[in-house]
Amino acid sequence: MTDAPLTPREAEDALAAEFVLGVLDAAERAEVAARIKRDAAFAARVTDWEERLGGLNDGFDAAPAPNLLPKIEARLFPRPAPTRRFGVFGWLSGGLVAASLALVSITILAPPQPDPVATLATADNRLAYQVTHFGGSLQVTRVAGVAAVPGQVHELWVIAPGASPVSLGLLQDRPLVVSYPVPPAGVVLAVSIEPEGGSPTGAPTGPVILTAEIGQDA
Amino acid sequence: MDDPVADLITKCAAADRNAFRQLYRVTSAKLMGVLLRMLGERAEAEDALQEVYTRVWLRAGRYDPAKGRGMTWLIAIARNLAIDRLRARPEATSDDGLDTVQDSAPRAETRLVAQGEARRMADCFATLDPDKADAVRGAYLNGLSYLDLAARHAVPLNTMRTWLRRSLLKLKECLEQ
Repeated sequence: MTDAPLTPREAEDALAAEFVLGVLDAAERAEVAARIKRDAAFAARVTDWEERLGGLNDGFDAAPAPNLLPKIEARLFPRPAPTRRFGVFGWLSGGLVAASLALVSITILAPPQPDPVATLATADNRLAYQVTHFGGSLQVTRVAGVAAVPGQVHELWVIAPGASPVSLGLLQDRPLVVSYPVPPAGVVLAVSIEPEGGSPTGAPTGPVILTAEIGQDA
Repeated sequence: MDDPVADLITKCAAADRNAFRQLYRVTSAKLMGVLLRMLGERAEAEDALQEVYTRVWLRAGRYDPAKGRGMTWLIAIARNLAIDRLRARPEATSDDGLDTVQDSAPRAETRLVAQGEARRMADCFATLDPDKADAVRGAYLNGLSYLDLAARHAVPLNTMRTWLRRSLLKLKECLEQ
């Protein structure tokens, strides 16, 4: 098309539409997402486009979803501080035999910008992941050591007292960012070694190499 | 307007866990359909579905029933997450979706004819060049990026971008008439 260039107003509107449509690349998308947070007028344009293009939603067929509510609720509503903490460690103990020399340092600190939540580290600190909480998300960054050997991957689990482990994702070279509330005291974070692509069963299958329990005074 | 999904989201904002369970029961199949279509793999779609409902609970307070229907809001959250994941994938993997685009595009349009509001959408789509209408649908339903679309339509990326921006504005104008 050879029409005149868009007016600034049209360009704004087109950018909001492109964001909703999802055609932008990762970098542009991140820029626009940041703008939505600080620019209410632009955010309103985005909402308008969501509503407008929502007319296409009939194009999505429903598909049977398994009942993931228990997992979702375990993520959202970890039970309050444990009286049954032995249960958790009972479950972990098998995987921990190999790692028992490498138990855990836990750091709970007061809130500056991203709030530190825990550090998952071997005793000699040769492998360490730092867990922080920021803007409604947990961010997990490897601060020492290397990723799993090729063909394997480190997987992060959250275990509410008395509940089964729930995967929070795979730990690779990029920091893992996952929407999650601040885990309350008594919740255990653990890292296991899994085949590439993560645990095929939804539960840890490989050895648990790191654990940290969120402190009582978190 | 009667919108039971909107009511449930509003109750979630007031920390009503029963409403949250009910919301899952009523809406998870649709959101699973969205995620499965866009991400293409069941395991990833299920993982994403957990994250979507986590976000729904945490963001329910920001939902404003005056600004749109509940289901539209939920689908926007699911699509956003799916697109973030698609864009984080190494390039080239999103070509997988191409066959599906071609199969499903006409079907989506036929379905649109069913309802009044959706009918307007279909009418407005009909005012676009078929190629461009197809590009908008492919992006919306299958999560295609500009890069994917440019390759698929064999035009330079900037040309695709110009096309699409114009088409979107034209669509808006038509929908607002």
